[in-house]
Amino acid sequence: MPLIILLILFFQNTSLDKNTLLICKNVKTTLFSEAPLENIEAKSGTGISVLNPISGELQFVIPIRSLEFNKRLMQEHFNENYMESERYPHAKFKGKIAEPINMEKNGEYPVNVTGELDVHGVKRQRSVKGIMKVQDKKISLSSVFDVKCKDHNIKIPQIVFQKIAENIRITINSTYISQ
Amino acid sequence: MKQLLLCILFFFVYQLSFSQSTDSLMRALENDSPDQPVIATFKSSRLILSQTTTMVKKHDMDFKVVHRFGDIGGTDGGSKTLLGLDNSSDIYIDFEYGISDRLSISFGRSKYEQLLDMQLKYALLQQTQKSPIAISVLAKTGFTPYRVNTTVFDDYSNRFSYFAQAILSRKFSPNLSLQVAPSFLKRNLVAPGGDEEGLFALGFAGRYKFTKRFGVVLDYYQVFSPYRDNNTNMNFSSPLGMGVEIETGGHVFTLIFVNAKAIVENNFIPNSTSSWSDGQYRFGFTISRMFTLYKPKN
Repeated sequence: MPLIILLILFFQNTSLDKNTLLICKNVKTTLFSEAPLENIEAKSGTGISVLNPISGELQFVIPIRSLEFNKRLMQEHFNENYMESERYPHAKFKGKIAEPINMEKNGEYPVNVTGELDVHGVKRQRSVKGIMKVQDKKISLSSVFDVKCKDHNIKIPQIVFQKIAENIRITINSTYISQ
Repeated sequence: MKQLLLCILFFFVYQLSFSQSTDSLMRALENDSPDQPVIATFKSSRLILSQTTTMVKKHDMDFKVVHRFGDIGGTDGGSKTLLGLDNSSDIYIDFEYGISDRLSISFGRSKYEQLLDMQLKYALLQQTQKSPIAISVLAKTGFTPYRVNTTVFDDYSNRFSYFAQAILSRKFSPNLSLQVAPSFLKRNLVAPGGDEEGLFALGFAGRYKFTKRFGVVLDYYQVFSPYRDNNTNMNFSSPLGMGVEIETGGHVFTLIFVNAKAIVENNFIPNSTSSWSDGQYRFGFTISRMFTLYKPKN
């Protein structure tokens, strides 16, 4: 009798676990900032994300070094002088989707995500709006939000000729698969 | 009953060890990230005397103006020449272009002996977690096109000099970068009386950043030459420079004091006879401006 219970528990447990966590290994991130001389734009396609569709838990990690700029020197300065990517190699988000997720029903739903954004070693509580798209049991998330340099202790010096804006627009796109 | 409890306990332990949290999965995924090379070991491909392992990026062009004024002290200095600012011992204009991220070509012209030079530099090894140092190698050909007062430069082939160097650098922290550069210079014609055609030298240079865009730089060359050691009346002196470096986005400014009159290795390695102790050091600066010549469309 105990053995049977144990077996039932095992199978129930493993079957549940297998389908629980969804991952995305190619989160697309763009960074955009309007500046007087020229607009600053960077793209990354190698962020990673984990989504628990049952609890709504959501995490992102974007390697700062993966953000590519058109001007390579600008990219180096971004890493060395602004983001200090040797000290803070990742931008991270850890939060929760407020709305329940229904993977059975196709469509686009607005979602609210609340959690902690960790950029340049400074953690901030953020509430961010996004769009969740369900297509044949496949979940995609997208969101556009602003990050203030000041909020994350990213200093913009007076001496620099190429002034950059205080607000950086971040766009995130991720499509999830099961492991 | 006891058996059942044991089973349930076992199950919970099992579940704890196997059920995945978003945290642990995230950590596992993060650890897959590749080993990235260290960037920005130096702000520019040039410090005071030395060139660095830092490369001009693909399709970028680094335009440099390097200036050395006259002696601050000694017979040529003092208030009469406004601490040497009336004179220029050397002016160097240089264009360095990145053929790829690891290969660059440069053309330069010095006031000192009107030296023209062409150089290829290649980044052999990048500093990563596996490799503790970065290595760049360079080869330079120098040519002095004009006849000088003596008759020794009659033959064109005599006017060539060749310089080869391996630069080994390490970025110890975001603030501290050091490098050492074994070098060899071959001149086709040297002064009579035992001067060596081939000269070995060792360059030492470093940079310490106090803020993200401001740092101090130190640069020294040791030349290995019995001729120079033995002829003390010639006053050969090891080139030594120190100064500050300021980066402002597209520009890098270097403001320095150095005893060597010349800027290019082909000149300052064999011909440095100005000594710090005699007041024969000078103010100098470098302006480096980076141009992006080609932007990929995406």
